Amino acid sequence: MNIATIPIRNLRRKPLRSLLMVLVFAIGIMSVVALNYLAGAVGASLEEKLTAFGANILVAPRKETLHVSYGGMALGDVSFEVKELEEAPTIAAIREIHHKDRLSAVAPKLVHVGKVGGQSVGVIGVDFTEEMRIKSYWALEGELPAGPGQVLAGSAAAAAFSLAPGAKFSLDGREYTVSGLLLPTGGDDDQVLFMDLHALQAATGNAGLVHFVEVAALCSGCPIEDIVTQINAGLPGVEVSALQQVVRQRMATVDFVKHLALTVSLVILLTACVMIGLSIFSAVSERKHEIGVLRAMGFPKASVYLVFSFEALAIGLAAAIVGYLGGFGLSGPMLGWLALTDGAALTFSPAHFAATIGAVLALAAAAAAWPALKAARTDPSTALITL
Amino acid sequence: MLVARNIVKRFGPETAAPALSGISLAVEAGDFACIVGRSGSGKSTLLNVLSSLLKPDAGEVLYKGASVTAMREAELNRLRGTDFAMIFQLHYLLPYLTALENVLTPFMKGLSPVSRENRERGLACLERVGLADKGRRLPGELSGGEQQRVAIARALAAGPSILFADEPTGSLDKRTGQTIMDLLADLNDAGLTVVMVTHDPQFAGLASRRIELEDGRVLGCEAAVAG
Repeated sequence: MNIATIPIRNLRRKPLRSLLMVLVFAIGIMSVVALNYLAGAVGASLEEKLTAFGANILVAPRKETLHVSYGGMALGDVSFEVKELEEAPTIAAIREIHHKDRLSAVAPKLVHVGKVGGQSVGVIGVDFTEEMRIKSYWALEGELPAGPGQVLAGSAAAAAFSLAPGAKFSLDGREYTVSGLLLPTGGDDDQVLFMDLHALQAATGNAGLVHFVEVAALCSGCPIEDIVTQINAGLPGVEVSALQQVVRQRMATVDFVKHLALTVSLVILLTACVMIGLSIFSAVSERKHEIGVLRAMGFPKASVYLVFSFEALAIGLAAAIVGYLGGFGLSGPMLGWLALTDGAALTFSPAHFAATIGAVLALAAAAAAWPALKAARTDPSTALITL
Repeated sequence: MLVARNIVKRFGPETAAPALSGISLAVEAGDFACIVGRSGSGKSTLLNVLSSLLKPDAGEVLYKGASVTAMREAELNRLRGTDFAMIFQLHYLLPYLTALENVLTPFMKGLSPVSRENRERGLACLERVGLADKGRRLPGELSGGEQQRVAIARALAAGPSILFADEPTGSLDKRTGQTIMDLLADLNDAGLTVVMVTHDPQFAGLASRRIELEDGRVLGCEAAVAG
């Protein structure tokens, strides 16, 4: 028996009221926990999905006239001015960085200006497996090239050279077959022909060389700048730049989800805190005679403060445990109900659990501070006179 | 032992009539002092001032020569927790604690658990008021008289020198009230100084010192004739 016996027994005296208090507070915490887990999972999933819509890091030779992505430069300038990168060591260096698990696609490219019927056309050698990871939005008529003699034609290029799936045509004096057409993307991909990277390297005498590499990185929880720095460290003499616009857009979407969850969480928590505060406040008014008697027995103000604080802390502790576990348990089904399970994963975090309990206890103590202080400051004679 | 000098206490504006106007009195160790008077005469106010719960606007209260009025908060807490004890018209037991836990409340001021010694002292106090077998009962399971006896046991737990009692029989029937008065008289016989407020002339007759108040002034202060 010590001072904590008083608030604990008082909570036990009115089990229904105490249970309701814990329940309402727990529901608040449950919503916050569930929302945060959902926001985290959905944010990560969203980012992963967004990453499929393009690269966010460009690895290119330093002091090159090539601009961001091949789409931003005049292809005619590229063919003779561009220095090449060694394909194998460049890819290996990128794949070995500290945050390698954050890399979702590493897509090397060789750019060539070829001739079809006397007209120039951009030909891009790509690794189709990696390319499709960052261009999942591509829609095809036909198939991706399956061998060195096949090309994928961008819609505008196909129109310019009258290419259709299955058509044969001559490029730089070699015969190729159109395996498929790329439906209009509205971007630079429409203007060019795509073929297997190694086939283009062999055809142009650039074996083992690439002009640049596009990298798609998942950046939830890791700054893109870190990845850029790590790639740069592994590839001295190479220019690595983050496509900030893309990154910012993606992060803005993810941040929106997180901020929304945070705002809702804050409102819920504030409401819960006000409720705890009001409940303790009402307890202080109801139990004024107890305060008077305790003070008459020589209880210091601090002890009276503790009596009411402990009550709030006990409610907070119970609510935090129930709320956290309930919130985590709810997040899974909620992901399903909201049809967000695709790519979203939930992992129970003991550290997060402990931090939540700590935060809720701090909130409960803060919420009870004013009424507990009021109780502590109650003059014993006033409390007893008002009996 | 306990001396009051020119105590003035006023509630409300300064123009209001004082509840106590220049009261002076002395209570000796072992006294059973009874403050009597009509309703509104200032009996409870005087008791609150004497017991340190209320600060007077003027004058001072001395306990064993030390000014209670000038004491700081911590000293007052120490005094209330050791030498002074109070019982009220209503028992004011904490309804969610058992009788024994209520008696042990004075030892629950901090995080340290109630010591075995204090627990035994609490049990002895319960025994002293004849409720040794009811220590596990909640106040709601006890009669009015038993509740008041638990309150007395609680007041005795810390071993006070003075017990201040504010109409302790006020809410009890005559027979139960008499039991409580007998208990207080026994405690006084055992050496405990008692300062009690009552409006019951019969109970006031048990006191060794009678302080009569009227309109916040001492009308008379007389020692009872033994026998």
